[in-house]
Amino acid sequence: MNEFSSAAFYPVAVMVLAAAVLVVSFKNLIYSALAMIACFAGVAALFVLLHAELLASAQILLYVGAISILILFAIMLTRNRGGEVKLFFHQQAWMAIPVVAIVGLILIIVIGSAHYNAADTAQNPGTKDLASMLFNQYAFPFELVSLVLLVAIVGAILLAKKEKIK
Amino acid sequence: MTPLQHYLALSVALFCIGAWGVLARRNIIVVVMCLELMLNAVNVALVAFSNYSQVIPGRGEVFVFFVLGVAAAEVAVGLSIGIAMYRLRERLKVDELDEMKG
Repeated sequence: MNEFSSAAFYPVAVMVLAAAVLVVSFKNLIYSALAMIACFAGVAALFVLLHAELLASAQILLYVGAISILILFAIMLTRNRGGEVKLFFHQQAWMAIPVVAIVGLILIIVIGSAHYNAADTAQNPGTKDLASMLFNQYAFPFELVSLVLLVAIVGAILLAKKEKIK
Repeated sequence: MTPLQHYLALSVALFCIGAWGVLARRNIIVVVMCLELMLNAVNVALVAFSNYSQVIPGRGEVFVFFVLGVAAAEVAVGLSIGIAMYRLRERLKVDELDEMKG
């Protein structure tokens, strides 16, 4: 598994980055969403390579399944009429590149200069240990996330609901 | 074994591409998609740290579960704001939302 995962990392990484660039650069929103699905699937593959199988399946269920469908629905509900033609190469887009380059440079310098105590053999625990960690030590935040989701669902319905005509 | 730094470099690259999209694109749905890319980049970094951790492997994975939950909530609210905005003015450009400009 180790030799395979170190060999498979680079093609998957290239795929993820290429899909991410396509998400930003496609003019057609549907194409952008499809590239985003490819990117999420690549991230799920990275999770498998990092021995996080449960997270990989959650990633596929949540991102590749649910969030992508939600975004595709939103694209179809908000069909643009003649917009989206000169959306990309405006002034702000060129100003964004140096800003992002500076942020990336700082992060790369931090990564390069930090000292890691990385283990050679340690790896993510299996699903059983993860579940016991999640439901014993982190049970309260876990329940809190469900509350956040409930509030978000109610808020989303309230925002997207059609106004009643009086 | 792939060194930890390579995973972190990938995470930085993905984060920067997402930030570029958030700053450069003006359609609110694309902005939400690029925000998701940034969240995914952070998830990759967390899982990589968790995998290479000597102290408590797996703690980063637990954190990623919470990030997933909050990301789902954020997408739902963001897209419904987009739909409400479209219903109001049939446009989705972020920079047209300037009523509250002082």
